[in-house]
Amino acid sequence: MSTVSRAADRIESVPFLTRDDASLLLVLPGLFVFSAFMLFPVLYLLGISFTNAEPANLFAGEGVVAVLTFGDALFVGLENYADVLTDGQFWNSFGVTWLFVATSVTLKIGASLAIALTVTSDLVRGKRVLRSLIIFPMGLPPIFTITVWRGIFSSAEFGLMNQLLTAFGASSVAWLSGRWTAFVAYNVTEAWLAYPFMVIITVSALQDVPEELHEAAVVDGAGFLARFAHITLPSIKRPVLFASILTSAASFQQFLIPFVFNQGGPARANELIVVYGYREALSFQQYGRGAAISIIALVFIGAFMWLNVKKGRLADGVNE
Amino acid sequence: MLLGAIARKLSEDVKTVATMPARTIRKWSYTVQAVRRGELPASEVLKVILSTIGATLVVLALLFPIYWILMAALSGSGSSLYTSESFSLLPSDPTIQPFIWVIGDLIVPAYSISVGIPFTDLAFVFQTPGIEILDASDYGVDRPSEFKRFLWNSLMVAIPTVLIAMSLIIPAAYALSRRKFLFRRKILFLYVLMTQVGGGLGVALLIGMYALYVQFGINDSKLALAVYYAATAVPFNTWLLKTYMDGIPVSYEEAAVVDGAPPWRVVTEVIIPMSTAGLATVFIFVFLTGWTEFVVAQTLLGTENYTLPVGLYAMVDEYSIPWARFSAFALTFASPIMLAYLFAQRYIEGGLSFSGMEG
Repeated sequence: MSTVSRAADRIESVPFLTRDDASLLLVLPGLFVFSAFMLFPVLYLLGISFTNAEPANLFAGEGVVAVLTFGDALFVGLENYADVLTDGQFWNSFGVTWLFVATSVTLKIGASLAIALTVTSDLVRGKRVLRSLIIFPMGLPPIFTITVWRGIFSSAEFGLMNQLLTAFGASSVAWLSGRWTAFVAYNVTEAWLAYPFMVIITVSALQDVPEELHEAAVVDGAGFLARFAHITLPSIKRPVLFASILTSAASFQQFLIPFVFNQGGPARANELIVVYGYREALSFQQYGRGAAISIIALVFIGAFMWLNVKKGRLADGVNE
Repeated sequence: MLLGAIARKLSEDVKTVATMPARTIRKWSYTVQAVRRGELPASEVLKVILSTIGATLVVLALLFPIYWILMAALSGSGSSLYTSESFSLLPSDPTIQPFIWVIGDLIVPAYSISVGIPFTDLAFVFQTPGIEILDASDYGVDRPSEFKRFLWNSLMVAIPTVLIAMSLIIPAAYALSRRKFLFRRKILFLYVLMTQVGGGLGVALLIGMYALYVQFGINDSKLALAVYYAATAVPFNTWLLKTYMDGIPVSYEEAAVVDGAPPWRVVTEVIIPMSTAGLATVFIFVFLTGWTEFVVAQTLLGTENYTLPVGLYAMVDEYSIPWARFSAFALTFASPIMLAYLFAQRYIEGGLSFSGMEG
């Protein structure tokens, strides 16, 4: 401790710094490790995206020099970006990704609101038990649940979804071989994976809605829908909005569902943008192209997040 | 001290769960009496019963996929689900064979120890008995899974992850919660921003990271992977623990300082004990990062070092999945986490309500 206080004394002797600024030293290790593992790969990714890197030339040579020169890969300027931006495959992936964000987020919010209202209803008993059951899927490894959902949407006659369809007299569907049926399967799975998180946030927001408002509205003769639209919704708007932004970022970066279901197929039609970049690099060995795609995706994620934090005033807690 | 607090909480929880049926019955009998005396209209009670049944059905429908897979694991036979005639609520021929396949042999082999007596030719030879806890072949399992090797790999990743991440997170959370210093707001802002971008960023960065790791020759190292997991866990968990610590009244610390406690004792005697719930939550989150992450581990690690999630996915074939074994494997691997989740549920809920966001 004495070394720390000595360091603090020394810091105090530097102009502009106060004794409290020594606490920065407690934060720096975490910040440093985090930046090293985030910033450095980003810079490297940016570097690769300007080269014709492939495993053969990228991993030639060893040591620090080879790292700095990207192996024997050649600088090709913006060629990768030009290539990618004129490729129909990219625009297809880009479009599907945004469509997936729109549909899956709508589905997630709708389903989670309905579930949250159900498990907080005054008419329901044993709410605590129901609520602890409901977040159960959160504890399961995603790779497991997603593979289970792949089984549910299995094209075979005895996939769970097809059994359900045949039970209702419909004919079975080859879910993962059709473009839009696969897309529907992605959406349902994503909604199921995300609902525990959304429901937790919505439930805690619903519990903060003042009871008196509802009672007053009931006295005034307001029905369930009127109360929902004029009391519940305005009170839970902010937390739910916050959760929606988080979850739309998750949708934009969804990787495992398409990857496990059918590798973003059929025929690469449903490759969400992160899957597209990954496959270009690690399945088709086009590291330069893959890096360029990933950088474009990162720019969009970054811009989206920055807008939300700025506009949505999500960092209000920081301004204490 | 920390463990004692957790144990006390757990025993409370168990007591609550155990006395639940008695309390429920008492409540119902009160209700029935109230209806008999005419204090409570029967239609009201009926409404409550119907909505409770409805809500229970909704929850059961949501959990149905998990139930389905559990039944698959218990109905054994190692074949795929699709060959079964149709879905039935209970396995027709329950067996624990898939679970035996996962766990494999539990045998402590026999060792012989010989102790020679110096200056003589005499030697004592001890034969330790082989302890046979579970012999898989008794249950008709010939080649058990490699679960134990994956488990060992996973632990070797998850334990360093937790140690590294906790040592980075706890001091930072304390400083961010209690001190005002240079760049404090900027750092918090960055952490909140990164909280939202989360794990998906990892996949986008994977190409850069993979190339870097291969060139430095650390792509097959479990420790390098653990450091990466710890790094990704920093922003969210630091921020979460900071919001917990914000809830501890400053007056406790001041009292300790007045009593002459040095700063480090204030932390160990006041801050750490009072943020047990927060620490437990952060612990679970950090542990889960290393325990369940798949994409990065699969890309970086070689077959020898596969962790549990990667080992699990390796069972998935393009055309068929051995469902019974697959789900037995996954459930064995997820069960400790699910138990921890059930007990820590209230803390997790509290942490995720983002109460700190309101300022």
